[in-house]
Amino acid sequence: MIRLEGVSFRYRSAPEPALSEVTCHIRPGELVGLLGRSGSGRSTLASTLNGTIPHLVRGELRGRISIAGQDIQGLRPRDLADRVGFLFQDFEAQLFSTNVALEVAFGPENLGVPRAEIARRVDRCLRLARLEVLRHKAPAGLSGGQKQRLALASVLALEPRALVLDEPTSDLDPAGRRDLWEAIRRLREERALTLLIIDPETDEVGWADRLIVLDRGRVALSGTPAELWSEGDRLDALGVKGFTLARLATALGLAERWQDTDGAAAAIRAAGWRVAEGAADRLRRADDERASGGALLDVEDLTHRYPDGTEALAGVSCAIRRGEFVAILGQNGSGKTTLVKHFNGILTPTAGDIRLSGQSLRGQSLARLSRHVGLVFQNPDHQIFAERIRDEVAFGPRLQGLSENEVSRRVEEALEAVGLSDAGDLDPFILTKGSRQRVAVASTLATKPELIILDEPTTGLDHRELLGMMALIQRLNQAGHTILIVTHAMAVAATYVRRVILMQDGRIVREGPTREIFGNESGLFDLGLTPPPVVQVGNRLGVPALTLEELVGSLVQGTEGPRDKGTETRQ
Amino acid sequence: MNLFLYLDRESPVHRLDPRTKIFLLLGSFVAAVLFFQPGPLLALLAVLLLYGAVGRALGNLRRVWFLLLSIALISTVSWSVFARGSTPLVWRVTWEGLRYGIGAAIKIDSMIVSGLIFLSTTRTEEIVLGLIRLRVPYQAAFAFSLAIRMVPTIIGTALAIRMVPTIIGTVVTVAEAQRSRGLDLESGGPVQRLRSHVPLLVPIFLHTLRNTDQLAKALESRGFGAGRERTSYLEIGFHVADAFALILAGLILAMFIAIRFTG
Repeated sequence: MIRLEGVSFRYRSAPEPALSEVTCHIRPGELVGLLGRSGSGRSTLASTLNGTIPHLVRGELRGRISIAGQDIQGLRPRDLADRVGFLFQDFEAQLFSTNVALEVAFGPENLGVPRAEIARRVDRCLRLARLEVLRHKAPAGLSGGQKQRLALASVLALEPRALVLDEPTSDLDPAGRRDLWEAIRRLREERALTLLIIDPETDEVGWADRLIVLDRGRVALSGTPAELWSEGDRLDALGVKGFTLARLATALGLAERWQDTDGAAAAIRAAGWRVAEGAADRLRRADDERASGGALLDVEDLTHRYPDGTEALAGVSCAIRRGEFVAILGQNGSGKTTLVKHFNGILTPTAGDIRLSGQSLRGQSLARLSRHVGLVFQNPDHQIFAERIRDEVAFGPRLQGLSENEVSRRVEEALEAVGLSDAGDLDPFILTKGSRQRVAVASTLATKPELIILDEPTTGLDHRELLGMMALIQRLNQAGHTILIVTHAMAVAATYVRRVILMQDGRIVREGPTREIFGNESGLFDLGLTPPPVVQVGNRLGVPALTLEELVGSLVQGTEGPRDKGTETRQ
Repeated sequence: MNLFLYLDRESPVHRLDPRTKIFLLLGSFVAAVLFFQPGPLLALLAVLLLYGAVGRALGNLRRVWFLLLSIALISTVSWSVFARGSTPLVWRVTWEGLRYGIGAAIKIDSMIVSGLIFLSTTRTEEIVLGLIRLRVPYQAAFAFSLAIRMVPTIIGTALAIRMVPTIIGTVVTVAEAQRSRGLDLESGGPVQRLRSHVPLLVPIFLHTLRNTDQLAKALESRGFGAGRERTSYLEIGFHVADAFALILAGLILAMFIAIRFTG
C-alpha cells in the first residue's frame, strides 16, 4: 500500500539529512506504529507520504515513494487528499469551519463530491467519531478530545485508503486519548484502512500490527510488538521507552508477553512471586520520612466565575506546605489550570482567599508576586522572545530591578541548574522543544521563587527529555523549592510526586499521598484517569508500589510463609 | 484562531441569502460615502441599528465599543482642528470643521457597524458560497474568508492592553505568561507601555506564523485547491424575504440619493 524505496530528505539549509535511505513497505490494512526520539525523522517521514514534503516544505528529496502502486512524485497533498489522509497533533489549526457538519463537508466539497453523497459521508463520519449530537455546534466550543475526533471525521470524509496520524493524542487528556483510540478501533472494524500512527509512547501503540523505530533518519528497528517485547534495552538505546510490562517481566526473569495488567499479575503469581511480608508498611514508612515543613500556600473556599458566568472553581480549599512536591490531576476543564493561575495573581478570586506565608494575595501586584511564585506555562513558545538564551533568562530578574551583577549571577545559576550553561549565547529558537522547555524553567528559576508551578511540564517531550526534565524538577525540590505540577502523565505523578490533588468540575474531589490515591483505582477511573501499568500490577498483587523498582523490591520468590495483609483483602 | 464574530441565532436577517446581505452591505457603504453632514448619516446609522436589532447582532457591538469610540473621538477632534471653516467657535475650531468631523466619525462607525452586522449574521461558509455564486473565484473567496477570520485576532491584539475578556486565546496566554514573569503592562508612559509590549509581540507573531504554516498543510491535505469543480454541502437560494429586503433597501438608498442630489 505504502512503499518507500531509498528515501532520503534534507531540509533546506540543514547540514544533516533528516531521512537517509529509508526503505519500508506497509501492507494494505496494516496498522504500523512509528516510534523514535524527537528529531529521529518520524514526522519528516510522514510528511513525505502525501507530498507535504517536498511541495510545502522545501528541501532535497530522493528515492521513490508509491501509494497503492502509484509513484507520487510530482503530486501535491491536494492531489493525494482522497488517497492519504492526515491527522495532525495540533487540532486547533486543522479546524476552520463555523460548525461541525460543515467542517466534515469541507474536504468532499473540495473534491467535487455530489451534495447527496457529502450528506451521507457527513452522517457516517460523525457517527463514527461519536459527534452526531454536536453537528450544529461551533468547533471552537468543543473540548480538545472532541476537536481531535472532529479532525479525524473530517479526514475520513475524504475516504482515503491510508491514514497517517502524527502524534494525534499528545495534546489530549487521558479521556480524550481513550476516546480517539476507540474511534480508530471502530474505524478498523468498519473498513480496511492502512494506518500509520506516530506516537512517542510504545505502550500507546502496543496494539499495532507492526512497530518501526527510526533513529537519525534511518529505520533502526522493525518488528511486531511481540518481537519487540523483550527489546527494552535496544529501544532504550534508541531513546524510546520500551513496553512497561516487558521491563517488569525482565526484572523478574520472566519471558512471556503479557497482554494487560491482569494477565501480568496472574503470570507473576503463577511464577511463584509473592509480596514480601511487611512490604507495604516499609513503603509507607519511607513516605513518612520525607514529610515536609509548615504551610506555604493556603487556599480557602476559592471560587472563580468567568465573565460569561461559567463557574470554573466552586469552593476550593487546600494547602501546600513548604518543600512539598504536589501534583494536580484531572481532566481538561476540571479547573486545574484556573486554580494555579490564582496562585501567582494572574486571576483574582471571585470569592474566597489565598494566603502565601500567611499573607493574603488580594491586592498584591503580579510583579511583586512573581518573586515568590513562579509559573512555567505549558508551551515555552508562548513566552520565549529574546534572541539569546541569556537575555531570555535575565528578563525576570531585570524586571525586578536587580543590579546587572546580580542578574548575571542568577542567570548563570539558573542555566547551570537546567544544564544549559554552555548554551547561554545561542538563539533559543534553534533548540529542541525539550531544551526550550528548560529555558522556560530557567527563566522562572532566575527569579528565585519559593513556589514553582509547572503546567504540563512533560507534554511533547520524548522519553529522554521527559526523564531529564523530571530529574531537573526533582533536584529543584531537593534544593528546597516547593513544587506544584499540573499533569496528565500518570507515570510522572506516580514516580516523582508525593501528594496528589484530584480535581473534577471545579472542585477538589480527593487529595492525599500519591500511594494512597493511586491504590484506589476505581476512584481514579471515575475521574477518567488510569494509574500507570506498574501501579495497576502492584494493586492486583496487593502492594501499593508506585515504581518498577518499588514493585520488584517488594516481591519475593516462594509460595510459603504468611501472606501479606493486602493480598488477603484483594482476593 | 478560532473565534468568529458570527452569532449562531435564529433571525430574519440570518435567513437571508448571503448575496442579499452582500448587496445590503454594499448599499450601506454607498449611502455612507454620499454624505458629509451629520444629519443624514445619523439617519443611516439609525437604519443600520434597526437592521442589526432585527438580526439580533447588536450584542457584538459591545465587543468593539472601544474601537468605535476611539475612531469617533479621533475623527471629531482631528477634523475640528484641521478642517477650515468660516464660523469660529474656540481657538482654531470652526463650526463647519466640527460638523465635518462629527459627520466623518458617524460615517466610519456606520460602515464598521454595517460590516459587523454582516459578519454577525452570515456564516463564513455562506459568505464564501455567496461570493462564488457572484462569480468570484473560489480561491479568492476563501482568502477573503481567512481575512475575516483574522479580524478578531487583529482587534484582540489591538485591545490586549485593555484585557477584554473575549479576545483570542494566544494573545491572552502570551500576556499571562509574560505577566507571570513580572512584566507590567499597565504602568508607565506611552513609550514605556509600547516597549513593554515587545515581549508579547514576538511570541504572538511567531505563533501566528507557525499556525499559518500548519493551516496551509491542513488545508491542502483536505483537498483545498484540488482543481476539481467544487460542490457545496450548504444550500443557499433567494426567497420572498430576500426580494422584500432588497426592495426595501433599494427604496431607502434611492431616498438617500434623492436627498443628496436635491436637498
